[in-house]
Amino acid sequence: MLRLAEGDQHALSELMRRHSPRLYRVAVGYLRDAEEAMEAVQEAFVKAYRSAARWDRSAQVVPWLTRIVINESIDRYRRTRRRRALEEPLDEGDAHDGRWAEGAPSPERKVLGRELREHIDSAVGSLPDRQRAIFVLRHYEGMELNEIAGALGMRLGTVKSGLHRAVYRLRELLGPVAR
Amino acid sequence: MMWGHERWRRRVALLAYGALDEVERAATEVHLRSCAACARERDELARLRALIDGPALPAPPVALETLEARVLARLAAPDPAPPRAWASRPWVRLGAPLAAAAAVAVATFLMLGGRAGAPTAPASPEAAALAAAETDAGPGGEEVLRRMERLLAREQAARYLNEAQDVLVTVTAGPSPCPKGLARVEVEDEARRRSRALLARRASLGGPADVASAEPVLAEVEQMLREVADLPSCVRPGRLQALQREVGRRRLLMKIDLMTRELQG
Repeated sequence: MLRLAEGDQHALSELMRRHSPRLYRVAVGYLRDAEEAMEAVQEAFVKAYRSAARWDRSAQVVPWLTRIVINESIDRYRRTRRRRALEEPLDEGDAHDGRWAEGAPSPERKVLGRELREHIDSAVGSLPDRQRAIFVLRHYEGMELNEIAGALGMRLGTVKSGLHRAVYRLRELLGPVAR
Repeated sequence: MMWGHERWRRRVALLAYGALDEVERAATEVHLRSCAACARERDELARLRALIDGPALPAPPVALETLEARVLARLAAPDPAPPRAWASRPWVRLGAPLAAAAAVAVATFLMLGGRAGAPTAPASPEAAALAAAETDAGPGGEEVLRRMERLLAREQAARYLNEAQDVLVTVTAGPSPCPKGLARVEVEDEARRRSRALLARRASLGGPADVASAEPVLAEVEQMLREVADLPSCVRPGRLQALQREVGRRRLLMKIDLMTRELQG
C-alpha cells in the first residue's frame, strides 16, 4: 500500500493479483451480473489507486478495498435502477407493477439450474442496498459481522439487524422453493 | 409474548448464518429445544442457505490480465466526467460553508501578498487548484469566489436531488412484508430518516439566483419527501402504491434526472 500511495503501478498490479478474485466475488454477489461486476472491480481499483495517497496507514487493506468495491457496486446498481425507472415511467392508475404483484412462486413449482439462479438473483436484488451488502459479505465471503461493520462503516447492531432482515426477506421470497 | 418470539426469530436467523456469539448461540439452542416453531425456522433457514449456495455465481468474463490492462488504460486516460470527480472531492463533501471558507482563506492569502512570504504549501491539491484559478483569472478575487459559490450551490442541489431520487426509488421498490402485521408492508427506517434529513437540508440549498431553475423540482421533491417522512414503519401496500403512482404521475424521477444533469453542467 505504501508503494501504491507513492503512485507505483507495479504495486497496483500486485494488489489486483492478490485481491481481484475476492473483490469480484463480492461485486458479482451484489450485482448478480458478471460484466457489471467486472466493471465495478475495475473502477474500484482505479479509485483505490487514485485515493491511495489519502489511505490511512492504520487501516487494513481488505476492508478498505471491500468498502470501495461495495460502494461502487451500490452506485452501479442504483444507476441501473434509476435508468429502468426512467425508461418505464408509471401511468396514472397503473397499480399493477411486477415489483408489487410478484409474490413467491407456488410451492409446487420446481426451479432448476438457470431458472433457480434467476430466481435467487431476483430475490437478492430486491433487498435494500445496505441489507444486500451485508448479506453478500456474510453469505459469499463469510466475513465476521464486526469486519462487515468496519468495511461498511456501520455499527455492529445495524449489521446484525440488517442481516436478520435480509435473511427473512429472502425466506419470504425463496422459502417455497427451498422446502 | 409476541415481541419475545420476534427476538428469538431474529436470533434464529443470525444462528443460521453463524453470526451469534457463544453466549447468544448457547441460549438460542436451549430455546430451540422447547420451541418447535423456532426449530422449524432454523431448519428452513438452513435449507434456504443451501439453496442460495447451490447455483454458482457467474465466472469472471475476462482474465485477470485483461482486468489489469483495463485498469491501467483507465488510469492513463483523462477523467471523462469532471463534474462527478469534482463532486467526489472530500472538501466538497464538507459542504458549502467549509468550502467557501477554504476559498476565502486562499483568496485572502493571495490578496495579502502571500506570494512574497514564505513558500507555504497549499493545504491540499484542491487549494492549489483554487490558487491556480485565481492566478489565471487575475486580480478578480471576488468574481472567482462568486463563481465558486455558485458552482458549489449547484453541485449541492444536484447531490440533494440525487439522494432524494434514491430515497423515493428505495421506499417504493419491492417493500418487505411487515413483521408486525399481516397485509402490511414495511417502510425502512433508513428511508424515513433520510427523508427527514433531506427536508432539514432543504433550506440550506444555495441562494435563489444559483439554483432558481431547480426550484420547481425541489418543491415537488419536498412534497414527496414529506409524505415519506410521515409514513409509519408498517403501512398498507395501497399507501405506498399511491405514493409510487404520484411519483410516476409527476414524472418526478425523470425531472430529477434532467435537472441533476443541468445543474452539473
